[in-house]
Amino acid sequence: MKEILKLGIILFLFCAIGSGVLAFVNKMTKDKIAENKKKTEADARKEVLPNVTFDGPFTADAGKPDSLQYFIGKDQKGAIVGYTFIASGRGYSSTVRTMVAADQAFQILKIKVIDQNETPGLGANSSKDNFPPRFEKMGISDLVVDKDGGKIKSITGSTITTRAITKSIRNALTVLKGAVETTPKQVAPTEKLVASGGSL
Amino acid sequence: MEYLGNIFIMAISAILIQNFILARFLGLCPFLGVSTKMDSAFGMGMAVIFVMTLASSLTYLINVYLLIPNDIQYLSTIAFILAIAALVQFVEMVIKKNAPALYKSLGIYLPLITTNCAVLGVALLNFIDKWPNGKSYNFLDSTLNGFFSGIGFTFVLLLMAGIRERYEFIETPKSMRGFPIALVTAGCMALAFMGFAGLKL
Amino acid sequence: MNLLKEFTKGFVKENPTFVLVLGMCPTLATTTSLKNALGMGIAATFVLVCSNMIISLIKNVTPSNIRIPIYVVVIAAFVSIVDMAMAAYTPPLYKALGIFIPLIVVNCIILGRAEAFAGKYGFFPSAADGLGMGLGFTLALSVISTIRELLGTGQIYGMDVLPKSYIASPMLAAVLVPGAFFTLGFLMALVKILRKEV
Repeated sequence: MKEILKLGIILFLFCAIGSGVLAFVNKMTKDKIAENKKKTEADARKEVLPNVTFDGPFTADAGKPDSLQYFIGKDQKGAIVGYTFIASGRGYSSTVRTMVAADQAFQILKIKVIDQNETPGLGANSSKDNFPPRFEKMGISDLVVDKDGGKIKSITGSTITTRAITKSIRNALTVLKGAVETTPKQVAPTEKLVASGGSL
Repeated sequence: MEYLGNIFIMAISAILIQNFILARFLGLCPFLGVSTKMDSAFGMGMAVIFVMTLASSLTYLINVYLLIPNDIQYLSTIAFILAIAALVQFVEMVIKKNAPALYKSLGIYLPLITTNCAVLGVALLNFIDKWPNGKSYNFLDSTLNGFFSGIGFTFVLLLMAGIRERYEFIETPKSMRGFPIALVTAGCMALAFMGFAGLKL
Repeated sequence: MNLLKEFTKGFVKENPTFVLVLGMCPTLATTTSLKNALGMGIAATFVLVCSNMIISLIKNVTPSNIRIPIYVVVIAAFVSIVDMAMAAYTPPLYKALGIFIPLIVVNCIILGRAEAFAGKYGFFPSAADGLGMGLGFTLALSVISTIRELLGTGQIYGMDVLPKSYIASPMLAAVLVPGAFFTLGFLMALVKILRKEV
């Protein structure tokens, strides 16, 4: 019994030392890791909707914890240019995350796949430059893969990945449309002043 | 009823479409090492299914109730592998006492289940994989995933053992004997299993 | 104890991949491109050298019957360090290697060398052994990945090498699962032939 106790304590000591070292390394790298994630998303956001300032993030359904988050892109005059959000769906071998920019008519302006681990040479081609253009100007009802009767041309040999991405964008766009149409209109500050009848 | 349908999808996915050995490259060391005889392959397979199922449950509980609430997920690798090592030690003791013949035939391969990438792999994958609708796995989902993945592993292991047993009767070129021909065989099997990729569930 | 000999044996004579047949999972999974292979090789070498060094130092205070769990804790600690460092400083490589970074902890090469060598010999021989084995592993990974990437995408390290007509429709299977098995199988046979003549 005493032997087992002694062994247990030695093992525990090693674990404690190991955990201590890891806690230290974690502290040093934690911020950089979070920063990396934010930066990829921020860069992708600027790429799909350039030359705007972003308001947000807004939550589509405040009640649900995993609800869609979106940003509103406004130009210098404060007019809404479009919305950006991340569509997420399970592809063939990984979860694919796509940054999407849509205009006020809920048609797609531009997309960019920001996270995927699909099959190299097949689904992974969704990260190539020739993939995003096929989504431009597509509305919610157009967002179906050609094999299923829609307008989105699938990647050769990789219908599954294309279908997953298309579906995730369609679902997210539908949620966005529902959220924006039911939220009271966001008025720009200048409009508010005029509406209240002159001086503040 | 719908949940049963989802379980079926999970099973087919784990065993055929995303098979641990032939699609995810997990569990290769025992796959190459223990697949020469059907009996040892069967024994190993059963032990692995058992460990993978229990390991999935145990690591899920550790992560959800110990690591995440205390924000110490960076300790997950250490915690998981220690849990698996303890589990394998426990299984070893049980088998030694209740099935000494099996214990003898498995030999050194039993403690080696600790270093089987498939066991730690499924424990980690339970937190990375998601249902098609985007939801993460809960406790029951994780346990079942471990179980079905173990079945997929054993299934391919037995297929391989069946084939390799017959290699004793053919004249393989000297340089290809042993691991090389086993790997090429696995490649052909992987090629065949790729046909399942198009299964629309 | 000839340090140079301990260091170089991992390259060919006792190459962990082709001769000792250890660490198969990452070998097949991360060799889809030379970049990923080098990333995995270097990460594994780092863990191997560090764990070999630490284990050779603590072997006198580790009771024999719990030495394996203690080795595992040491290895897991270094793997976690590599995991966090890569997530912070090399995010694209971290994403590409994915689950195989934490899986370094069950890479049979590392535990195998800890048990077979570091647990018995001194600090410098263990470090040399670790470095040699790690580099031998990286060498094997590089050879395999070069072949697979070249045949499967016509590129090496992401740069076009083969003519455009090949890149347009390459031998995709090489970079998919079956190609990994075939490539490794034939390379192993080749090494067997070379060693018999050597």
